Amino acid sequence: MNARRSLTRMTGEARQDFAFAFLSILFEGAPFILLGTLISGFIDIYMPPGMMDRFLPKNKFLAVLMAGLLGAVFPVCECAVVPVIRRLVKKGLPVSCALTYMLAAPIVNPITALSTWKAFTGPVMMIYGETVQANLVMTVSRMGLGFLVAVLLGWVVASIPMVWVLRKRLVDELKNDMPDHKAGEHGHACCGDDHSGQHSYKHVESSHTCCEHDHSHEHIHAHKPDGSQRIVAAMRSAIKDFVDVGVYFSIGIAITALFNTGIAPGAAWLDSIANRQILAPSALMVLAFILSLCSTSDAFIAATLDKFTYGAKLAFLVLGPMLDLKLLFLYQTVLRKKFILWMAVGLFITILLGAYYFQWFLNQQIVP
Amino acid sequence: MNVKLQRIVFSLVVLTWAAVLLYFFGSGRIVKYLAPDFRPLVLYGGLGLAVLGLFVLLTAGEKSSCGHDHSEGDPHDHEASDMNPFTSMALMLVPILFAVANTKDSFSLAALSRKSLFDEPLSNNVFLAENLPPLTMADIEKTHKKSEAGFYEFNLMELYFAAGDPEIQKLLNGFKVETEGRLVMEKENNEAGNRRRLYRLFITCCAADARAVPIIIDFGKETPPTIAENAWVKISGTVTFPVERGATQVILQSASCVESEAPWEESFMRNY
Repeated sequence: MNARRSLTRMTGEARQDFAFAFLSILFEGAPFILLGTLISGFIDIYMPPGMMDRFLPKNKFLAVLMAGLLGAVFPVCECAVVPVIRRLVKKGLPVSCALTYMLAAPIVNPITALSTWKAFTGPVMMIYGETVQANLVMTVSRMGLGFLVAVLLGWVVASIPMVWVLRKRLVDELKNDMPDHKAGEHGHACCGDDHSGQHSYKHVESSHTCCEHDHSHEHIHAHKPDGSQRIVAAMRSAIKDFVDVGVYFSIGIAITALFNTGIAPGAAWLDSIANRQILAPSALMVLAFILSLCSTSDAFIAATLDKFTYGAKLAFLVLGPMLDLKLLFLYQTVLRKKFILWMAVGLFITILLGAYYFQWFLNQQIVP
Repeated sequence: MNVKLQRIVFSLVVLTWAAVLLYFFGSGRIVKYLAPDFRPLVLYGGLGLAVLGLFVLLTAGEKSSCGHDHSEGDPHDHEASDMNPFTSMALMLVPILFAVANTKDSFSLAALSRKSLFDEPLSNNVFLAENLPPLTMADIEKTHKKSEAGFYEFNLMELYFAAGDPEIQKLLNGFKVETEGRLVMEKENNEAGNRRRLYRLFITCCAADARAVPIIIDFGKETPPTIAENAWVKISGTVTFPVERGATQVILQSASCVESEAPWEESFMRNY
C-alpha cells in the first residue's frame, strides 16, 4: 500500500488532507448537532410523556403515514433528527412513527425541496409527450420516494417487537419511565400534578378520571420545581446528548474524511465502480454513504455528477439522508446494531429498486 | 462516576469544541472550509456551545429538577451517558485536536486529484450555467471588465463550464480573456511539457465536497514560466475549445502568466 495512503503511516500530506476534510465536515455539522441536542434536552424536561402520541392518529398505519409528513412542518436535517427522535421515543412516540419521521424528515421538508429544485434547474424532460422541468421531476421524485421508503419501513417496524429495534438501554429506560402503562399509551398529566421527587407521597389504588380506569401504581409526588431548576436540568440533558451524539459524529466524520481524501483503503475501488453505467445507482449510493453530505445541500453535488443517470442521482439523493457513515454511528445511540444492519439492507434494496424503476420510466419517456 | 465530575468533563469537551469553532470563525480561516451561507452557523454554533458548556460548568454543583414523574425503583437519570465520560472525552477531543494541529487549510494535489482536478470537462452543465452571467456578445462588455491589454476578465468557472455549452463556445472561441487560479503541471497530452492546468475549487457547502474546476493552459512554443507548483497566477490569452481525448477541452493559449496574490477565499466570490 502506498505509504502516503496508509492508515498506519500517514504522511504529512495525508494528515493535512484528513485534517482539512475532517474539520470542514465538523464545522458544517456541529451547529446542527447542537440545535438537535438543545431541542432534545428541552423536550426531555418539558414535554410530558405521550404528548407526541396524542397528535397522531390511533390507527398505527395512519400514524406512520402522518409521521412521514411531519418533516414538512418540523424541518430537521439528518444530523439533528437522531437526538430528537431518541428523546421522542423516550417520551412515548411509537417507535414505528419515530423511525418514519427520522428517515423522512431530512427529505420531506421545505429546505431540502428548495435546494433540490434549485440544483436541478435547467434541463427539461419529456414526460408523456409534454416538456417538464427536470427540477420538478427530481424534487417530486425525491420527496415521493423518500416518503414511500420511510413509511414502508415504519409499517414494518410497527409489526415487530420494540426490543428488536431499540437499544437495550433505551428499552429499559422506557420500561422504567412507564411502569404501569404501555409505552406511549398516555402520560401522567392527567393526575393534575407534577411528579417530581422531593416531597413524596403515594397514590395507592387511585383512579384517574382522564383514562377512566384504575391504576394500582405508586407515584412519588413533589412540589413543582422552579423554572431555573428545570432549565438547569434541560441544559444538563442537552450537554449529555451532545456528547453522546458527538462521539459517534466524530468517529463518523473521521472515517468519512479518510475516504473523502483517498486515504482509506477502497477509495480507488469506489471510483472504478462509479464509471459503470449498470452499477451507477449502486455506485452513487455507496458514494452518498461515504460522503455523508447534509440533505439540505447534497442536491448540488448530485446535479454536477453528469456521468450518472437521473435514476442514479435519485438513489444518491434518497439514500444519503437516510443512511451514511456518520448516521451509522448516530443511529447506534438509538437502535440495535442488528436492526441497523437489516434496516440498511432494506433501505439499499428498496431505494435501488425505486431508482431502477424511475430510470426505466424516464428511458421510456425522454426524447434525446 | 461522580455526576458532578461528569458535568465538568462534558463542559470542558463542549467548551473545547466551542473554542475551535469560534477561533476558526474569528481568525477568518473559516472561509477556506465552508461556503458563505454556512459560515455564520459556525459563529452561532460556537457561541451556543460556549453558552451550553459554561452554563453546565457554572451550575455543575447546583440542584436541578426535571419536574416530572419519577416512580419508585426508577432512577430516571437524565444524565446517564452511553459510555464512560473520559472515553467520550477522548473520542471527541483527540480527532478534533489532531485535525487542528495538522490542517493547512487546503488539500494536497493527491487529494485534489480525487476531486476532479484532472478529470475531463463536463459535457453538460446547465445547472451551473444557470448561475453564470449572460454571455451574449452584446452583454460581455457590460458584464466583464476589459484590461488595458485588451483582455476581458473572466472567472475561471465561466470558462470551465463553457465546455458544456456549444452556444457559448461559438461566442468565446478565439476570445481574449484574463483569469486567475492555481497552476499545476498537466498530466495528459503534455509530452512537450508546455502545458499546465489552472484550477480553482468550487465549494457547495464544505471543503470536503469541493470540486476542482480546471482548464488547460497551453504555452505553445514558449517556455512555461518558472512558477511554484500550485501557486496562484493571473493568466491572459486566447481561449479555444478543441476536442481532445474524445471531449471538448477548454484551452487557454497563454500570452501572459504572472504570479498573483491568493484571493481571500476559494469559493469564487471575488469578481462578483
